[in-house]
Amino acid sequence: MTATENPPTQQTAQTYRPSTLQRFLPFAIAAVVPFILGSTTGDVNFWWKALITVVVLAVVARLAWKWTPRGELTHREDMRLWRTPSDRSWAALTTFGLLVLPFILASDFTPPMGFPWATWFAVVNLVLIFAMGAAAFNLLVGYSGQISLAHVAFLALGSIVGGIVGVQWSGGNMWLALPAAAVAGAVVGAISGLPALRLKHLYLLLATFGFHFVMMLVWREYLQEYFGFVGIRFKGENSPRIASWLHWLPGIDPDQNGEFVITGQFRWYWVLMPITVLSILFMVNVVRTREGRAFAAVRDRDVSASLLGINVARSKLFAFALSSAIVSMSGVLASFYIGSRGEDSFNVQTVLNYAIIIVVGGFSSIQGAIFGSAFFWFLPEWFKWAREELWFVRDIDFLSDYPSEIDLAIKGFLVVIILMFKPDGLAGMWRDFKNWLGRTLARSNP
Amino acid sequence: MSDAILSFDDVTVQFGGVRACDSISGRVERGSLFALIGPNGAGKTTLVNAISGVYKPLPGAKVQFHPAGEPAEDLLAYRPFQIARLGVARTFQNLGLFMGENVLTNLLLGRYIHEHTRLMQGGLFTRGAVKRELAARQAIERVVDLLDLGAFRRDSVGDLPYGVQKRIEFGRVLAMEPELLMLDEPMAGMSVDEKQDMIRYIYAAQDELNMTVFLIEHDMSVVMSIADHVMVLDFGQKIAEGTPAEMQQDERVIAAYLGTEMAEN
Repeated sequence: MTATENPPTQQTAQTYRPSTLQRFLPFAIAAVVPFILGSTTGDVNFWWKALITVVVLAVVARLAWKWTPRGELTHREDMRLWRTPSDRSWAALTTFGLLVLPFILASDFTPPMGFPWATWFAVVNLVLIFAMGAAAFNLLVGYSGQISLAHVAFLALGSIVGGIVGVQWSGGNMWLALPAAAVAGAVVGAISGLPALRLKHLYLLLATFGFHFVMMLVWREYLQEYFGFVGIRFKGENSPRIASWLHWLPGIDPDQNGEFVITGQFRWYWVLMPITVLSILFMVNVVRTREGRAFAAVRDRDVSASLLGINVARSKLFAFALSSAIVSMSGVLASFYIGSRGEDSFNVQTVLNYAIIIVVGGFSSIQGAIFGSAFFWFLPEWFKWAREELWFVRDIDFLSDYPSEIDLAIKGFLVVIILMFKPDGLAGMWRDFKNWLGRTLARSNP
Repeated sequence: MSDAILSFDDVTVQFGGVRACDSISGRVERGSLFALIGPNGAGKTTLVNAISGVYKPLPGAKVQFHPAGEPAEDLLAYRPFQIARLGVARTFQNLGLFMGENVLTNLLLGRYIHEHTRLMQGGLFTRGAVKRELAARQAIERVVDLLDLGAFRRDSVGDLPYGVQKRIEFGRVLAMEPELLMLDEPMAGMSVDEKQDMIRYIYAAQDELNMTVFLIEHDMSVVMSIADHVMVLDFGQKIAEGTPAEMQQDERVIAAYLGTEMAEN
């Protein structure tokens, strides 16, 4: 097969082709260094670690930049997720950041001015769970254009499946509950998507919102039937464990009972981060291949899409099934991570929270869901800190009297601001920032 | 007499009390360039919509499509996406492009019916998915070369000029590799140069890619120079049919269509 070349994007027709080793080395360095850093706890000062981290970060980014093919790209290169030097640098930095983050967060660092540190790890883990759910939600609402409010119903479905499969059947086997929730989510999701075959926009929104209340009813009935008012306990004896045949893995030291229980933020991070990253990569891959293109086509013009040979009904149901399957999985993760789910765990406010996340993060952008949920969870933390520590905010009684109301007001206000001035949200701002950085670097380093 | 790739009989489409198409019959010869002309509101687009499955004609209509080497298919029994998969592709008068997506995505959507990557395979980006994606891109590349779209690959379609957008839509139906290509006013709103280019591309589709072209066109001079066979509609009725030369002589056509235009000149 002869590779057809794209015409050169710049005047220079010269092509640079890094070797396979060169292409993967930055990522390898990015993957190894955090563990070396993490294994040296105690002896090395935090600031030394931070310095080493920054230096390695710079080296990794530089290598990834340097060792990226440029000039004319073959189609195979053009298809890569990270095509440009800047894409690859950011990807290497993100890999590095995700791997180094738990070690930084686990250290007993005290930031100046009483900035909250202890709660950050919990917030990061919540961001991971929410990013997964919100990205799936955005795939449906933003990317496939099927306005749905049923995603919290699927979080509840995840909790139900987690309760049935993970707690009642297997006594804390989350690993069984996850695929079960994916299957259940896909099936129920496709059913909940049936109204989409006839309805659009606001009408579809109302129909799916109806589905939300149906699922709430199911959830309440299920709780009262088997667990009563206390709700489902996913903690303690129901905590997920690593099976004994996997105890040889590095970093897994079983406790006295010969078990490895996933508990505490550090262990949870290593469960949540890979699952979130993999599911987001899955969605990104779907979006850039055949069926994902069909989603976008159906969103933009369904008549035109059907004349391209796309079965519009099937495509819509696929979007619902995929999104619901991943949301249900994130529901299982949330249940086991938070540890208990009761009657009031899911409500209309939760629905709105996800809407806030994808609007602020950026509509029809999977990246946006990550930014959105980070924003959503960090904002209250920062606001709380400002209320307690910042001298010019501390004395305003009004703010400390209504903390959660003001949180909501800020979020609502930001949604309006973003819809008015930056419709592509934080993801759009991030893109602008990267472009600006690229231009600046190009100017300073011709 | 060569064989017909498309034959339609008694196609009637009614909106409320208006008959947009009134029992229109005709046949399109394989490999020919069939032109459908008529003044505004004559029902040309409605006829194409009925053939491609967007509108349902009234009962009694018959639309037969004969793919090469295969038995004839009754198109009225199929839904639009199935008709597209049989090998009938069409463009839209007011563009059926996905404006927010880039040119590459739009063209690759034309390969939807050819490269069958499933949702799971796409999500896992399996070896097979990569192979089919590459195959789709190779196929696109031929279209890109033919239509000179190379400079726009990653541009968002909505940002490009109208003439280029028309070309992209044409490229997308070419990428579908249909046997019957239905073009709904591909030259509307184009400059003279762009029209010349488009005529060249249509010839290329017909001669090099062996497609049968069903062309709706407003511009009489274009039709007269390129069509093999012309059908004229007026107020939903077929008023004449024949070679371009015959049509230029036909009194009903002159009265309905050419007459006004010649009077202006």
